[in-house]
Amino acid sequence: MPNALHKNWRERWFPNGEWMVLLALIAEIGIFSSVAQNFFTTANFVEVIRLSVELGLLALALTPVIITGGIDLSVGSMMGLSAVVFGALVMDWHWPVAAAAFATLLIGCAGGALNGMLIAEFKIPALIVTLGSFSAFRGIAEGITHGAVNYSGFPKSFLFLGQGYLLGVPAQLPVLLIAMIGYGLLLHRSVIGRGLYAIGLAGNGARWAGIAVGRRIGLVYFLSGFAASVAAIIYVAHLGQAKSDAGTGYELDAITAVVLGGASVAGGRGTILGTVLGLFSISILQNGLHLAALPSELTGILTGTVLVLTIAIDRMRARGRTLIQEEAIEMKNSQVAILCGAILAGALITAGANVWLVRSLKTMPSSASGGHTAVIAVMPKAKGDPYFVSCRTGAEEAARELGVELIWDGPTGLDAAKQNEIVESWITRGVDAIAVAVENQAGISTVLRKARQRGIHVLTWDADAEPDAREYFLNQATPEGIGNALTDEAARLLGGKGDFAIITGALSAANQNQWIAFIKKRAQEKYPGLNMVTIRPSDDDRDKAFSETQTILKVHPTVKLIMAISAPAVPGAGEAMRQSGRKDVDVIGLSLPGICKPYIHDGVVQTIFLWNTKNLGYLTVYAGAMLSQNKIPAGATSIQAGRLGSLEINGSQIILGAPLLIDKRNIDKLDF
Amino acid sequence: MKRFRSELSVAFAIVALLIVLAFLAPGFFTRENLSDLVLANMPVLIVALGMTLVIVTGHIDISVGTTFAICSVAAGEFAKLGLPAVGAGMAACVIGAMLGAINGALVAYVRIPSIVVTLAAMVAFRDALRWITQGAWVQDLPANFQWLGTSQAASNGITFLVAAALVISIGWGLRNLPAGRSVYATGSNENAARLVGIDSALVTFSVFAITGALTGCAALLNSIRFNQIPSNAGIGMEMKVITAVVVGGTAITGGRGSIQGTLLGVILLGIISPALTYLGFSAYWERAIQGLIILCAVGFDAVRSRLERSAGDFAERTA
Amino acid sequence: MSDLVLEAISISKAFAGVKALRSVSFELRPGEVHALIGENGAGKSTLIKIITGAVKPDAGSISVRGEHVLQMDPRLSKALGIAAIYQQPSLFPDLTVAENIALALETGGAWRTLDWKARSRRASQLLERAGASGTSIGPERLVSTLSMPEQQLVEIAKAIGADARIVIMDEPTASLTEREVESLFQVIARLRSEGVGVIYISHRLEEIAAVADRVTVLRDGESIATKRMDEVDRSELIRMMVGRELGSIFPKREIAMGEIVLELRDVSSRAAGMHHVSLNVRKGEILGIAGLVGSGRTELAETIFGLTPADSGEILLRGERVAITSPTDAIRRGIGYVPEDRPRHGAVLEMSIAANTSLANLRRVARHGLIDRDMERRLADKFVEQLRIKTPSVDMEVGALSGGNQQKVALARWLAIDPTVLILDEPTQGVDVGSKSEIHSLMADLAEQGLAIVMISSELPELLGMSDRIAVMHAGGIRGTLDRKDATQQSILSLALGHAA
Repeated sequence: MPNALHKNWRERWFPNGEWMVLLALIAEIGIFSSVAQNFFTTANFVEVIRLSVELGLLALALTPVIITGGIDLSVGSMMGLSAVVFGALVMDWHWPVAAAAFATLLIGCAGGALNGMLIAEFKIPALIVTLGSFSAFRGIAEGITHGAVNYSGFPKSFLFLGQGYLLGVPAQLPVLLIAMIGYGLLLHRSVIGRGLYAIGLAGNGARWAGIAVGRRIGLVYFLSGFAASVAAIIYVAHLGQAKSDAGTGYELDAITAVVLGGASVAGGRGTILGTVLGLFSISILQNGLHLAALPSELTGILTGTVLVLTIAIDRMRARGRTLIQEEAIEMKNSQVAILCGAILAGALITAGANVWLVRSLKTMPSSASGGHTAVIAVMPKAKGDPYFVSCRTGAEEAARELGVELIWDGPTGLDAAKQNEIVESWITRGVDAIAVAVENQAGISTVLRKARQRGIHVLTWDADAEPDAREYFLNQATPEGIGNALTDEAARLLGGKGDFAIITGALSAANQNQWIAFIKKRAQEKYPGLNMVTIRPSDDDRDKAFSETQTILKVHPTVKLIMAISAPAVPGAGEAMRQSGRKDVDVIGLSLPGICKPYIHDGVVQTIFLWNTKNLGYLTVYAGAMLSQNKIPAGATSIQAGRLGSLEINGSQIILGAPLLIDKRNIDKLDF
Repeated sequence: MKRFRSELSVAFAIVALLIVLAFLAPGFFTRENLSDLVLANMPVLIVALGMTLVIVTGHIDISVGTTFAICSVAAGEFAKLGLPAVGAGMAACVIGAMLGAINGALVAYVRIPSIVVTLAAMVAFRDALRWITQGAWVQDLPANFQWLGTSQAASNGITFLVAAALVISIGWGLRNLPAGRSVYATGSNENAARLVGIDSALVTFSVFAITGALTGCAALLNSIRFNQIPSNAGIGMEMKVITAVVVGGTAITGGRGSIQGTLLGVILLGIISPALTYLGFSAYWERAIQGLIILCAVGFDAVRSRLERSAGDFAERTA
Repeated sequence: MSDLVLEAISISKAFAGVKALRSVSFELRPGEVHALIGENGAGKSTLIKIITGAVKPDAGSISVRGEHVLQMDPRLSKALGIAAIYQQPSLFPDLTVAENIALALETGGAWRTLDWKARSRRASQLLERAGASGTSIGPERLVSTLSMPEQQLVEIAKAIGADARIVIMDEPTASLTEREVESLFQVIARLRSEGVGVIYISHRLEEIAAVADRVTVLRDGESIATKRMDEVDRSELIRMMVGRELGSIFPKREIAMGEIVLELRDVSSRAAGMHHVSLNVRKGEILGIAGLVGSGRTELAETIFGLTPADSGEILLRGERVAITSPTDAIRRGIGYVPEDRPRHGAVLEMSIAANTSLANLRRVARHGLIDRDMERRLADKFVEQLRIKTPSVDMEVGALSGGNQQKVALARWLAIDPTVLILDEPTQGVDVGSKSEIHSLMADLAEQGLAIVMISSELPELLGMSDRIAVMHAGGIRGTLDRKDATQQSILSLALGHAA
């Protein structure tokens, strides 16, 4: 058959304008190669692939779902549920890993089948079904583990799947490759895949061609549940931990990758190649921004912009093509005006944001030029958290003082996987010292050890990793110290006897759960009169802490003290107390003086504990700089840390000092 | 009565829950608790009003949480610039309406699916806000910001009145104004709407802009209850709002839904969590129970409408 | 000439080079019912679209009540008092009857207050005037709960309410029962007495004889004649519509018939509204199925094909009892079905010819569940050649082809399963004259090759010309089966209308 009759290669491989994503991908690689250090290296691309595996599995699974015109919002939650089930089976029930993995996959299949049945059999819109299972799956995972259990200590042979190398490539790469090939064959080559496209294009009309529409739709949701549980097992092996928050927010990233890859949310259009391009354009963007030490917030901004732009351009082109056949969409002047207005408004907002940004950039230190400037990379647990924001001030002060370059970056919310990803990119970039506020001990230790092998100095601060994964831990206070101090203060205020309630952050927050354990222990051992009535979550949301406090006060009138152990929860509880007018209930907690000041002055909040966060940030950068210049000799028992003076070194821990008790007397002296 | 049938199952669930509470935890019905609950669910309710419009036209807006955060911060910043709280609130509403207008223009005129547009807006604007604020809260607000410079009781009264006015006027307008009916017409059959002279693109654009403005209003009414404004507000709000609207009987495919249904949906979701606390359930199972209640509500609705449809088919065949 | 409510002079229109209308003139007097008849594709709907302003003519002019209209558009035509009632109502399914009527009629700002009671009152009045008084259509019912004829009554009420001076009815009785037809005629009589001009399009000549004052016959885009109804008789109308001797142009061949391939014994399906159907088709035979729209023809096909499985009775294939519960079953047993609604069910317009051809029998082009693209393309090439599908490549999207070629692709899909029984539902609807006779000769070829063919059609000439036997359906059952030599238009029609044979 003559070649001219075939479609040209572009239409064949990129039927939905995927070439635009490919161009974006090439542009990303081009730009980052020139601005980011060590970006264009084999080692870096290998890492990018490793970090893309879990998200990639979800995106691949969502491609056929979206092609049939459906959606599955529950994949991230299914990851959480599967991870927890897997962890429980291996660690609590002592099942062999293979058997546990098998059972976990069954759970994924069952969840997917449930979605599929409700959608295909009962004809409930997919958005609603998976919105419900989105809550239900995550909820069950939290229910099983009380949000707190963090399974770790998996066998080394299992962790190899997520952390090791097979012939020089990450061990989980084959899984992704198999999934790509499998889904590629399924969608583009198989009899079933052809049916899925027909369903997406003709809907129920596909039945007229003898396609079992219900069964096919059921199948894609079944497979997406299965893929989510595979992703969960790899996630556990990758991070070395299984917790109910695994995969939070992954569903949106995965949908973004699929849609970016040219799939139409109306169904019928989309390719595996497009999804893979979409996936890598997102992960390379993230990786490149880290390597170029650009703030990770740009990821969301750029992804969102690229997403809307690619589809808008595609729409405009499509409209140009069909204008003749379709009734021309006649735009009225008023409509044009509205459209222009909206675009103008968007431009104004962007411009305003830029002005703001420039102003904020001016206050940032400019790195000294000439000679080698030490690069100290410091990672908070969550960038937006007011606690870490105040640490940053101290870190910047130290960087200015010492003339070192500071990279301050981290996940935008608590996210252990993201922390690993950023450390990996710092290793690739080749910084002098890395200091991490660890979210998850087991998960990050492997990658920190790798950094040490590459000759990078490693510190931990705020929360520790495994001792051999770092040189020093900057210890501001131990969980035990915090737990004891809070319990002692509660006992003092209550006179050793009475009911109290705890408002924590997220139910699955690791730090808080540790503190709660020590609070319980201390109360049991030392204050038998103290009785903890309830623990309520605030999800680090001030408003939620506010209404939870209101409810506690009414449901448990005997409670005489609220212990709020998340920074935004203390002002939330304080405000609730003030508005209730209850003078007989005390509020104590762990928070920043800055946001608690009004309440402490009013006497609504009695005491908060904290160390000097500014000093902690200062010390982190200072110690990092000294390490990178080899100024801390082995076996030293103290260091001179600039304005902090001499600090004690205890083993491999640098002690900042005891937790600070903050109340009316000293709060005005603190400026963070 | 037929018109309210889809709301009945929600109303029934609420009544059932309240009866259980009346026997096991009569403390739930104190005036204080009820007023606290009303105030705590006010933001979700006001945003849900707009979301009802969006879903009735057959679209969805998952960027409301981000808009909520931006408007909260903006209201605070404007207040600090010296604007009176009312002026700052107006400014917040305008910013919300502008953000909504961007979504609306892209959906209505460029014809990008709403879930894609608002997904992009949710992610992009949230990260932009994080970048700009660097996570810092808005503090040191002028004294006349909290409670609008009046007393707590007066301010709560105003908040309540504003919310009630919005519910009643939007509920009434959606039912009794041609502008409101055109929302249903657009969602029910866009082609037929064009045939009877409804500018369906303008309707789509407007509902997004209105939702943005209402989100701004909700952000202000929420902010004035406190004396500082967190920059990470509204995370996960879109899910709460959409769930409330859908549980309230609004069809996700468009064309059907009502404000009274949404009101009931917000009430049901708003009382589940405190009710479970009152009944002594552990916080750890709350999310699972909530998810199951949603699945049951929509499952029940789907089965019922399926029965109805087959009855309708029968009528058609035998006619 | 100012006594005409509507005058269209020398209207011409071509779509992509194909002449749909050639200098057609049409006039309508006040208080007149003017029937417009012609075969499918004769140009009736194009003329209607030009009058309502949905399509712009290439040449010709339109006057309404003596006033020349320069540029007709839908809004203007509405303002001039032109209302059209189509076979498929365009209503809002989620809104009530009263509101559907109100939305079409009310004018005024977006912010005035609605008077629901007045809306409801007016809806009841209009429904009564439209002849819905005896039915259960209340103003407060949701349109999604109405049956098709009930929805049509709502459309009529809308037209009455709009105070239309020109009402166009496009096959309004297609899905109405006799009683409903009766009351529709009363409505038309009332409209006529109020001086409204009615353009009435229908295939049912009896109805036209009963209701119309004048009739205009269109054929192949040309106006053949306009006559007073009392000047013509039925046979003359048919001759004018068809314009040629029946039988001669249909490539029907005499084939020795083989054994019975498909047999239905007393088959009923409640979901399909079909009861006690018995019929059989032999190898090499073309069995025509006649009946009005809504008589259960398509439902019969869907039951045989497993879309709405039978719940009693027996289906036998080559004498063997089989259970067909899904299209998959039907396909496996060699039953193919070319459905009526081509864009929705017959072909996937966004897919290529090759993909459409193989869709019902992907196994044929697959090895171990994977599709062999070359094999698929060869298969499609074979049918492109055999069916003379005009296309540069089998990779073309079906949506880019003409109606006739789309229908051939839909046919190719079923030939690809090597069927023993082929059901064709309106195989030549919306297909131009050239492709039509090609499709007819294909059918003859296929029958010759030993296929058993069931052909559903609304076109009597087609049925009479192509079928060996014709089964006539009415109200979900078979009224009678006529042999080729006994069948006439009259005998088919009287059975279709429910009279005994």
